[in-house]
Amino acid sequence: METQTNTTPFYEPSGDECDLFERAWKNRLPLLIKGPTGCGKTRFVAHMAARLGLPLHTVACHDDLTAADLVGRHLIGDGETIWNDGPLTRAVREGGICYLDEVVEARKDTTVVLHPLADDRRMLPIDRTGELLQAPPAFMLVVSYNPGYQNFLKGMKPSTRQRFVSLTFDFPSAAQEEAILLGETGIDSMTAKRLVSIAGAFRALRDHDLEEVASTRLLVYAATLIKDGYDPVRACQAALVETLTDDAETAVALSEVVSATFGR
Amino acid sequence: MEEYVGELWDRLITGAAEKRHAAAIVKLDDIAKSAAIFFRALGGDPGLGISAAPAVRHGARRRLLQRMAGSGEKVELSWRDGEVLRLPSQIDLFAEYALNRDLYFWLVALAAVETNSHWSWVVRNQQATLATLQRFPGLQVRYNRLVDALLAMRIPPHKMPEDEAAQEHTIRQALQQPGSVDSIKLAKRPFQPVPLWPHPNPPVNGESGAAGAGSPEQTGGTAQKKNRRKHLAQRTDVKEDKNGFLMMFRAESLFSWSEFVKVNRPQDEEDDTETSQLAAEDMDHLTIARDGKASAANVRFDLDLPAGAADDTPLGEGVLLPEWNWKKQVLQPDYCNLQQLIATDVKPCELPHTLKNTANHLRRQFQALTPTRHWLKGQQDGEELDLDAWVQLASERNSTIPTSEHGLYRAQVNQERDLACLLLADLSLSTDAYVSNHARVIDVIRDSLLLFSEALTATGDSFALYGFSSLKRSNVRFHYIKGFDEKYSGHVRGRITAIKPGYYTRMGAAIRQASSLLVQQKKRQRLLLILTDGKPNDLDQYEGRYGIEDTRMALIEARRLGLRPFCVTIDTEASDYLPHLFGAGGYVVIRNPEDLPKELPQLYAQMTR
Repeated sequence: METQTNTTPFYEPSGDECDLFERAWKNRLPLLIKGPTGCGKTRFVAHMAARLGLPLHTVACHDDLTAADLVGRHLIGDGETIWNDGPLTRAVREGGICYLDEVVEARKDTTVVLHPLADDRRMLPIDRTGELLQAPPAFMLVVSYNPGYQNFLKGMKPSTRQRFVSLTFDFPSAAQEEAILLGETGIDSMTAKRLVSIAGAFRALRDHDLEEVASTRLLVYAATLIKDGYDPVRACQAALVETLTDDAETAVALSEVVSATFGR
Repeated sequence: MEEYVGELWDRLITGAAEKRHAAAIVKLDDIAKSAAIFFRALGGDPGLGISAAPAVRHGARRRLLQRMAGSGEKVELSWRDGEVLRLPSQIDLFAEYALNRDLYFWLVALAAVETNSHWSWVVRNQQATLATLQRFPGLQVRYNRLVDALLAMRIPPHKMPEDEAAQEHTIRQALQQPGSVDSIKLAKRPFQPVPLWPHPNPPVNGESGAAGAGSPEQTGGTAQKKNRRKHLAQRTDVKEDKNGFLMMFRAESLFSWSEFVKVNRPQDEEDDTETSQLAAEDMDHLTIARDGKASAANVRFDLDLPAGAADDTPLGEGVLLPEWNWKKQVLQPDYCNLQQLIATDVKPCELPHTLKNTANHLRRQFQALTPTRHWLKGQQDGEELDLDAWVQLASERNSTIPTSEHGLYRAQVNQERDLACLLLADLSLSTDAYVSNHARVIDVIRDSLLLFSEALTATGDSFALYGFSSLKRSNVRFHYIKGFDEKYSGHVRGRITAIKPGYYTRMGAAIRQASSLLVQQKKRQRLLLILTDGKPNDLDQYEGRYGIEDTRMALIEARRLGLRPFCVTIDTEASDYLPHLFGAGGYVVIRNPEDLPKELPQLYAQMTR
């Protein structure tokens, strides 16, 4: 998927990550972003691509994603076979950012394809066509993954990890998160403050009662519903409580936090 | 006849006097789990458990009817100490269910706020109220409702003597306008209890859980567990120089039969525990003496280590392991001595008949998990062409059917299971309890270990089995059952059959040792499976929060080493403390212990698929 928009997507930096990204790009270093789901990894990459004026090739990795899906394959045409570039090959040919989202989800063999690209050789050998592509200076490889994401027995190979500059994302601070909600949805600051306070309470439950805690994305969902005129308590129920847990008693406790914040 | 009339009168007057609302009752057991999560969400200490508070005598003015009925003397208030958050075991104060429930959550919210302990009780409560309302503005409405309902129920000031009226006015003001009262002028008679605030001077006696230290592990005793309510225990030193038969005070001054008197009573006259239970309910304080003689001697006798000849064979030197002290927040190096043991004189044996069918079934199921190379058809790419797909494509192209995208290759896949698992079983004395008419916990664990081994042998995964128990820090017993490099054989079955319950549960040390063994396995995934029936505990200070925090630290260390700890428990109250140790999704509670042998291999299959 290639996206190139004229407007830069909204992104509220929480540190010097933009600077690091620019430097990594300038110096042709691949980047690994890790962080919990919905904390703005994908948005950050989209934002940086727009800021640097680069095309962005995003691949959402899934557990059936093979090397051929990234590199490309022969397709059967009318009486002929046509070579079709995969997103990775396209990014290498054209230059730009190739972003592999949730890279640990992909099959193990796919990460091996990345190895020659991710070190100083910066090349992509394509076995099928016998090509050896040299990545242009404007090419950058960015991968992301979520360390806590249901991968009880999944992880990233050290040999792959050690080819990347790494950046850890976490949820933004309360003030920044409020700014994000305001910027994304345009709700009033009082509601934003309360939503962020709920998220703070839920995040205290990480590693104890919740596997995944309220992400900024979920807060944006809740804020969007509220902005649309939906009852705040119901909106939080739908966007936060029910999304985060299936356990009835946990849901009761989370609902209590919601109504303690918005009142009844 | 007299008795009958008395009973009738008692029922009548108590019914009339009791301002209780049975229809609107909210029980702690029903909301305990949610309340605990709510407490943690509001920033409360995640290591605290929730427990029922004992009723305490308040000594305040009562209504006439209540005085006649002799009821309403005691009240259950909430408070918090280093280990638990105590809440009333039930709330039926208000006529509406919603209000009673709100009161629970209000108490929890208040308890989650840290206040300056130098402030007086009244100021502290008001500040906590303000802080809570500021952070959770949605509670304001509920708070107002609670205050209104409460004030309507309190004895109005104009029915009281002057000093008490002033006192009552102050409390009312503090409730209605929190933050406006700086101090309270105490009257002769204590004020009416304020259920919206925590206990004014919580009866915390030094180390909490006074009855805990030095008590042996409960075996069985399920009825007692259910009664969540705790009694106030007060520890008294036994004055050695006094003769138990000589009363050192005038008999007239003996107000209460709960006063501690040392009487030589080698035998309890009444075996009737029910009566004792009732008597205990009525007492304000249960006094517990520690003279380290009678019962303690008995306990020590029971749990002495066996003589060397009768004990299992030690394997090598003892291992010194550290232990985490949460109060000091330090890791105490070389604090525990762990001895690896192997059962002596074990004869190889076969799988018991009763398990054969299940074992066969599991073996067949687990063989499906074994890594095999096989061909997948219709792949987008692969080593060979998929001729069937080609033929179909060619024929489709000749017909009018539009062609869809096909995979035209065959690919060979090689699923590999690069996995090592160490199963650590709790063999403490509590596993001697019966779970059903014919099986003890230890029997269930034994069957589980056997079936687990059968299943894992079928997959070819590398696995080890160990058991543990402990007797203070100097004797942590780590039983070797099967090592990683040993094949599953009759000898292993023999050692599994030979496991027996004993001693206590020093979980932290056992986890540390297991981690050090597992980390040597050069596998990509290393799973540390812990099988237990209760909380960590031992004879010394290793109980309650201390044991939990040490175990938690041991688990954090294990995760840092790249291991994946997972706990399987049959303790139904495990949700009180396991989330703190293993996190959500890091443990599973088996409700019916007899299902454990079948469930354990299934869990393993799910986890490693």
